Amino acid sequence: MIRNYLKTGSRNIIKNKGTFAVNIIGLALGIASVIMIMLYVLDELSYDRFNEKADQIVRVVFKAEVNGEQMNEAVVMAPVAQTLKNDLPEVTQATRLAKSYNNRLEHKGIYYGQSELGYVDPNFFDVFTLPIINGNKNTPLDEPNSVVISESLAKNIFGNTEPIGKTITVSNRDEQLYVSGVMKDIPKNSHFHFDLLVSTLGYDQAQKTSWMESDFFTYLVLKEGAEVAEVEAKLPAITKKYMGPQMMEAIGMSYEEFQKDNDIGLFLQPLTDIHLHSDFSDATTLEQGGDIKYVYIFSAIAIFMLVIACINFMNLATASASKRSKEVGIRKVLGSNKNQLIYQFLAEAFISTIIAAVLASVLFALSIPFFNQLAGKTIEFSTILNPAYLLSLLGLIFLITILAGAYPAFYLSSFNPLNALKSKFSGNGSGIRSGLVVFQFVISAGLILATLVVREQMNYIQNKDLGYEKDQLLVIKDTYLLENNEDNFIQEIENDPRVASVTHSAFVPAGESDNEVGGTFQNGEFLRRMYFYNVDENYIPTLGMELLQGRNFSKEFGDESDKVIINEKAAEILGFGKDAVGKTFQRDTREGLKDITVMGVIKNFNWKSLHQEIEPLILKKNPYGGVILRSKSANMSGIIEKLNSTWNQYNPREVLNYSVLDDSFQHTYLKERKMGTILTLFAILTIIVACLGLFGLVTFTAEQRFKEIGIRKVLGSSATQIVALLSKDFLKLVAVSFLIAFPLCFYLMNRWLQDFAYRINIQWYLFVLAAVITLGIAFLTIGIKSFRAASINPIKSLKTE
Amino acid sequence: MLKLEHIYKWVSAGGRRIFLLNDLSLKVEKGEFLSVMGPSGSGKSTLLNIIAMLDEFQEGEYYFEEEAIHQLKSKKRTEIFNQNIGFIFQAYHLLDDLTVYENIETPLLYKNVKSSERKALVGDILDRFNIVGKKDLFPHQLSGGQQQLVGIARALIIKPKLILADEPTGNLNSKQSDEIMQLFQDLNKEGVTIIQATHSESNAKYGSRTIHLLDGSVSKK
Repeated sequence: MIRNYLKTGSRNIIKNKGTFAVNIIGLALGIASVIMIMLYVLDELSYDRFNEKADQIVRVVFKAEVNGEQMNEAVVMAPVAQTLKNDLPEVTQATRLAKSYNNRLEHKGIYYGQSELGYVDPNFFDVFTLPIINGNKNTPLDEPNSVVISESLAKNIFGNTEPIGKTITVSNRDEQLYVSGVMKDIPKNSHFHFDLLVSTLGYDQAQKTSWMESDFFTYLVLKEGAEVAEVEAKLPAITKKYMGPQMMEAIGMSYEEFQKDNDIGLFLQPLTDIHLHSDFSDATTLEQGGDIKYVYIFSAIAIFMLVIACINFMNLATASASKRSKEVGIRKVLGSNKNQLIYQFLAEAFISTIIAAVLASVLFALSIPFFNQLAGKTIEFSTILNPAYLLSLLGLIFLITILAGAYPAFYLSSFNPLNALKSKFSGNGSGIRSGLVVFQFVISAGLILATLVVREQMNYIQNKDLGYEKDQLLVIKDTYLLENNEDNFIQEIENDPRVASVTHSAFVPAGESDNEVGGTFQNGEFLRRMYFYNVDENYIPTLGMELLQGRNFSKEFGDESDKVIINEKAAEILGFGKDAVGKTFQRDTREGLKDITVMGVIKNFNWKSLHQEIEPLILKKNPYGGVILRSKSANMSGIIEKLNSTWNQYNPREVLNYSVLDDSFQHTYLKERKMGTILTLFAILTIIVACLGLFGLVTFTAEQRFKEIGIRKVLGSSATQIVALLSKDFLKLVAVSFLIAFPLCFYLMNRWLQDFAYRINIQWYLFVLAAVITLGIAFLTIGIKSFRAASINPIKSLKTE
Repeated sequence: MLKLEHIYKWVSAGGRRIFLLNDLSLKVEKGEFLSVMGPSGSGKSTLLNIIAMLDEFQEGEYYFEEEAIHQLKSKKRTEIFNQNIGFIFQAYHLLDDLTVYENIETPLLYKNVKSSERKALVGDILDRFNIVGKKDLFPHQLSGGQQQLVGIARALIIKPKLILADEPTGNLNSKQSDEIMQLFQDLNKEGVTIIQATHSESNAKYGSRTIHLLDGSVSKK
């Protein structure tokens, strides 16, 4: 029986090559998209799950609103971990992690350069599943300055010799570390990656008891079955108990009084939420995480692709019902019951799906490199060969068979045999078909509009007046490594005729930058925290910023360490308005409050990404750390070559570390840019697949109305009128789909735009453009086919009767 | 074999009933070869479809081998049809995608006959109809007469007790037509009951009895 089904099925396929190709190509594209996006999504969801206690681990985070400043930090105060473990019975373990940013390693006089180093509490390995493969497996960090290093670092430094008991020096702060263990490299899907985990026992910061400064990523292991929300509810009381007295001492205000106008608190974040659900300030983020929004968006796209392809299958199958109805009638008369026919049609759908799946695997294999680059993953073809994936692929094939095959199977098998033989069957299929076509074009038109919106926003970012000139700027990092030669190095850059100007600063408005945050006070009273830029007198002209009031720093006036230049926003918050110059306020320093006087005000510039509003900023004269230069021409390769040779003259231990500011700026919006690319790709794919289906439907309509077209032509209808006759109904459906797609897409894309503090308004012409593109493509598809039908000699079509 | 009593079938058009069968009663004995004649629209096809249980009627009673068909559910009716009746069409209605062999084999597949048995049965019938050489051809490669031969072979493969033929030679020339009628007569002699609808006097003569339909009822015996 099955053989008979397969035989009929395959011969049917051969007979209807065109329809079949439409189905297969559509399905293959759909399946390939689903495989890819499934791998991407599963990878995103797998973060930190390798930890055996993943479901019990939470991270303590800090959220606050103080004097209008939003604080969202993933680090908390040093004593929080121990306090929560002592005071909360639900907490079985608490451990801390502090990232160290500048670590240059040396061993036996050989220099190994920058490495990722973190300070962790000795029980860190009891909380996180990071297997130690060599050395002290149980208590590797119980000695001060003991360090567990990663397998690859061990190989890099020690080669095949025994690393345990050896010393590694962090040369930039002269710290001696004793290797007590080697751990496996931290898995890719972890929210942190370190090559060295050093014991906090010798780390001063870790011994602090202050509840007024945050330094530590703090993780708790909760008792099994403990509710995160319940534990979280106990945190305010603890904060009040321990922070209260210290607050009184520091700012002379009681905790209750402070909380009246402000809102600070500790919260818990499940470990498995960290990668996709984090929204913490850059300075307290261990690594750039993913975004659950994109997981949703891409999953939706994959499902859309698949559904569109399945709809094609359904539509073409039911549209071709007239062709198959005779067969259904005969088979019924020959003794087939309804179920047997349903099996037969499902078997045909199954064959198609299998073929499509094979094709999809090929497509997938071909597009892996492109996909990896786009998604930033390292997925290999062999990934899908693992049994779990193969099984789910099989499940997917069955699902598609049911999804695409069930409706046609039930529809076709329900024909009354007599009517079927006369090709007279109820026409209710066309209503559902119309609905499905509308659905397809809702998705296509929606994706096209979404693509246009993303492109528009990206264009806006590209061309926005940022308040500084981002082009032709070269950022050279870590020039402090040159020590005494730093000034010579800067001098040589200044002397290069290709360089327009140079400034000495490690603070840049895009990409990796030094950070300084400090409290500001007015009349001795705490105002809020503000960011500081440490710059020299060339900074403002080199970056092309605009000075609105007062003057720039200048060498002529000698020591200007008590003078600052602020941005408009800071002037507004300080309440200085239009004449800020000469006004004084205080900032927090190690020696206590220090008076500073405003010397100038610069125009607001976007020194953070366009996702965020411009925040208050204070520029003070204290050049160090790095160099920014502006080139006279866009081609900076000559300058870079020169810089390299000069650098190597002074510091052969490390290579020149530079970046083009514009590149860093682009990199800030990488996520959005990638989404733009993916959206464009899928918008194209869905419109192709939807139009394939449309093409198939028009073909059938033209066939069904073959005779009518002939008669109309004999009666004097022109080809154009025939094309209009055939296209009208379909184009109406496409137009109807706009009514659904556009409001929906407008709403969703507006929500996406909320991520940007600086964003476009979705303009009416984007809707028009999306409509024109969709209608244009649809009309082209329909037009070609119907024009061909219209230009056939009418004698031919009338003779067939 | 079967008995129809006071069968009425109508369709409503514009609020009026148009009778396709009007108080039709008919009894067919086992082993008969009945020819049903009548002009176009007299109800020949409707009658055959009702006997085949492919179509329903509004009033009257239908007994097939003592089974009261009018009281049965459609599923049970289909079962009785599948077991007992072979249907032959004017337009042959072969499955275009299947070869001669596969076309004849299909009814056996639906009855879940074992593969070896199927082979034997199909082989026998191909032999008997002298179409062994054509077994791998597709319907469009055959002449009309040959196609109808395949249609008859396909109807016979389940060894039906009753064969219904709706103008089986309507699309054939007279020579082919005679051959088919001769075949029917031979089958009838072997004990198969046959009811055929036909326009042609000469074809009707092959039957053992002829009835004439006019406007949905039997006009003379």
